[in-house]
Amino acid sequence: MHEALLTLGFALVTASILALSAVAFTLEYAVTNVANVSHGEILTAGAYAAYLVHQRTGSAIAAAIAASIAGGLVALAMHSAVIGPFIRFGASPTIVFIATLGMSFVIQNLLVIFFGAANVAYTLDPGAPQQLGPFLLTPLDVEIVASAIAITLALYLIIARTRFGKALRAVSQNRELARVTGINATRVAGATFFLAGLIAGYAGFVLAESVGSFNPYFGFSFFLITLTAAVAGGLGRAFGTMVGAVLVGLILEFAGGYISASYNLAFAFAILAIVILVRPRGLFTNARRTVFE
Amino acid sequence: MSAPATTPALEVRGLTKHFGGVYAVDGCSFEAPLGQVTGLIGPNGAGKSTAIDLISGFKLPDSGTVIFKGVALEGLPPHRISRLGLIRTFQSPREWAGLTVLENVVMARWDSGREGFLRGVVGLGRADREKSANELTRAREILDEFGLATLRNERAGNLSGGQKRLVEFARIRMAQPKLVILDEPMGGVNPVLGERMALAIEGFIASGTSVIVVEHNLPFIQRVTQHVIVMAQGAVIAEGPFESLRSNQDVVDAYLGEMVRQ
Amino acid sequence: MTAYLVSILTEGAIFGIMALGLNVIWGWSGDFDLAYYGYIAVGAYMTLVLTVGPAVAPAQYILGLQLPYPLAVAIAVISAMAVALIVGLIALRHLRGIYFSIVTLGAVYVMYVFAGQYVPLFDGYNGLSGLFDPMGDWFSLDYLSYQYFFMGLSLAMFVVVYLLMWRISGSRFGMALRTLREDERAAAAFGRDIYRLKLKGYVLGAGVGGFAGALFAAYLSAFNPSAWSPVEVIVLYAAVLVGGRGNIVGVALGVLIMGMLVQESTRFLPSVPGLGQLNTLHPQVLLALRGAIIGLVLILFLRFRPQGLLPERRYVDRQPALDATPGNA
Repeated sequence: MHEALLTLGFALVTASILALSAVAFTLEYAVTNVANVSHGEILTAGAYAAYLVHQRTGSAIAAAIAASIAGGLVALAMHSAVIGPFIRFGASPTIVFIATLGMSFVIQNLLVIFFGAANVAYTLDPGAPQQLGPFLLTPLDVEIVASAIAITLALYLIIARTRFGKALRAVSQNRELARVTGINATRVAGATFFLAGLIAGYAGFVLAESVGSFNPYFGFSFFLITLTAAVAGGLGRAFGTMVGAVLVGLILEFAGGYISASYNLAFAFAILAIVILVRPRGLFTNARRTVFE
Repeated sequence: MSAPATTPALEVRGLTKHFGGVYAVDGCSFEAPLGQVTGLIGPNGAGKSTAIDLISGFKLPDSGTVIFKGVALEGLPPHRISRLGLIRTFQSPREWAGLTVLENVVMARWDSGREGFLRGVVGLGRADREKSANELTRAREILDEFGLATLRNERAGNLSGGQKRLVEFARIRMAQPKLVILDEPMGGVNPVLGERMALAIEGFIASGTSVIVVEHNLPFIQRVTQHVIVMAQGAVIAEGPFESLRSNQDVVDAYLGEMVRQ
Repeated sequence: MTAYLVSILTEGAIFGIMALGLNVIWGWSGDFDLAYYGYIAVGAYMTLVLTVGPAVAPAQYILGLQLPYPLAVAIAVISAMAVALIVGLIALRHLRGIYFSIVTLGAVYVMYVFAGQYVPLFDGYNGLSGLFDPMGDWFSLDYLSYQYFFMGLSLAMFVVVYLLMWRISGSRFGMALRTLREDERAAAAFGRDIYRLKLKGYVLGAGVGGFAGALFAAYLSAFNPSAWSPVEVIVLYAAVLVGGRGNIVGVALGVLIMGMLVQESTRFLPSVPGLGQLNTLHPQVLLALRGAIIGLVLILFLRFRPQGLLPERRYVDRQPALDATPGNA
């Protein structure tokens, strides 16, 4: 039981990072109807930005902010340069999907050109593990979970309470209708991408520190796990995604504890495949259909 | 009055399908007589298209049964139903855009003997090659009949909406199914083509294909059908020759109700 | 003929076979499959594991049967097709569009992770090596002659696969695959068993990929997880797309452009001031530059010329009498 609770504690940290990444991905999907395969690269960009800043300043906060902003800018660029134009051009979702895959390839390779393919790392002082109720967590872990919750709340407030949030919801539900009511869908999408990038960049900063070292490809491998959480929650539903992330994080952490952690990706895929095959619209909807429905 | 009772081309009994809480098709039952053109009409949302999807295997019914050639169709996948001899069209023309018009028509007939992978590599035997040659000749004839001969090498996706519909009709002529269900063939088509389509439908009957036509264009229904079925709110509310339905109060109410709702 | 040219032609031929296999799955059936490189890898790994001797500790791997190369290739191809059958049975049943692509991406990642982590299979991250000059001893060739021999073999195999694709392209089977790509619903309405047909195309394409992998393993004489990454499949997609999706001449053209021209163009880059130094600091830079260019080309073509350079080959019916008939539309 004690073991299980310990694992649960670690799972919370994993789930927090995953939730941030997944909710950012879901925002991107909601507002454009495109699965952004280069989403992982936003995290990588954040991690490298954090690395650069941390090397110069040694400040965790500065690194976090740098990561966030880098993520936001990269995401915005993704939308302005590729995703937005493709949508305006009327390309089918599959074509845009391929384009984002191409974009992922380009960004990964650009990162190799600028930073090399070797692993780099930065570390933050985790502090001494402390007993918090049944969990054993370091202050850093607590900060991670706390920041994840804070960001989620902030996001909720933005979506539910601001004019921008309203526009975002309108565009995600029905682009054409939103346009007709005077909303500039492209502008809203761009801003949403920036917002998603801020979150994802920060997630990249935390993740890179968590796993120890990283290279230009690390975001892409995390992308698969992010995708699993997003699909499990139902593509496009921000809060289903959070639940999905927690579930996936838990499963991965527990499975990783009993079987080797290096099979994480294989597990993520297994979950993903099962979810897609059984409940493609996410775990929280009901779908029984032929391939044509 | 209709001909003496023979086995109907299609028998539908108690077909039901719901989405969420809404019953799109609710206990729909009818028979389409053999060798005739049967119309299926009704206001928007009556469930006509869903019924067709259910009959042709593109959606799974919640309950009910469909009998075609003595076989119960519900639960069968679309390609099996098609191979039994029931072909349907769709609300928008579904030509194979990247293929030529001629290729579209040639591929209308499924032939397990000639479509296997091994055959593709090894090539066809003499009997099959003859079959293919005859098929090609027949395809050309059909296209000529439909006035599409000069377009036969044209990429099907480049054609106009009306021409695409004609290609679909040519495909049906080629396939010679026992029953064809046309889903709003006049949709988006210049009314001028209406007579050509009517003639094509008569051609189907002449070659042994029974026809069910779903349409909103009532003059067209009047022109081509011998028997009409009216659906509203998922079920059949009336049937008979077109003229008899004009004065049918239920039918008028259904259509009027639709207009009032709008 | 310089050694460099020989290697380019050999690689080009192998790459061409890979692209032809992908063309069946994506160009004809229309399935954006991200697991394709996995089948190439299976072909490579299986070839190695069947031709080298039994594992000597600390290396671990299965089999090690020292079979003659052609036999090993045949078994490797069948293995690739078997793996593809499993993935296809799951992924092609109900999934289309991005859901299909995502599941195949997951599948190839599983293959990648297993190949790299599960040591008893293919010696994990060390990979396998030791396939030197297969069939060279049949003709007692020296080093240089063998390079020519293998180049000739690869080119000959490319021609064989190309002819096979040519036959299939013009056959009813090939046309049936294309109807799936054009409009699946109509294909089903006209009697095609979509699932079965897609599976056939998928397994066929994977078999060709596995075959290319078998040749690739002999060319590299080794194979390990760093020799492939699931995202490398992008380069193949770029080749197929640029040349002309569905058109096998186009695919060959695409391979020529992407594989060889890009290779050539990045060759002179170290002489560009600054880049040369960068390359010595980070040895992967040239490769990465090539990758970035290919990715960019892919995106540009998707946007401005998604049909590729050469349009798809269509049957042109020449019967002058028909064109002259009066009263035609």
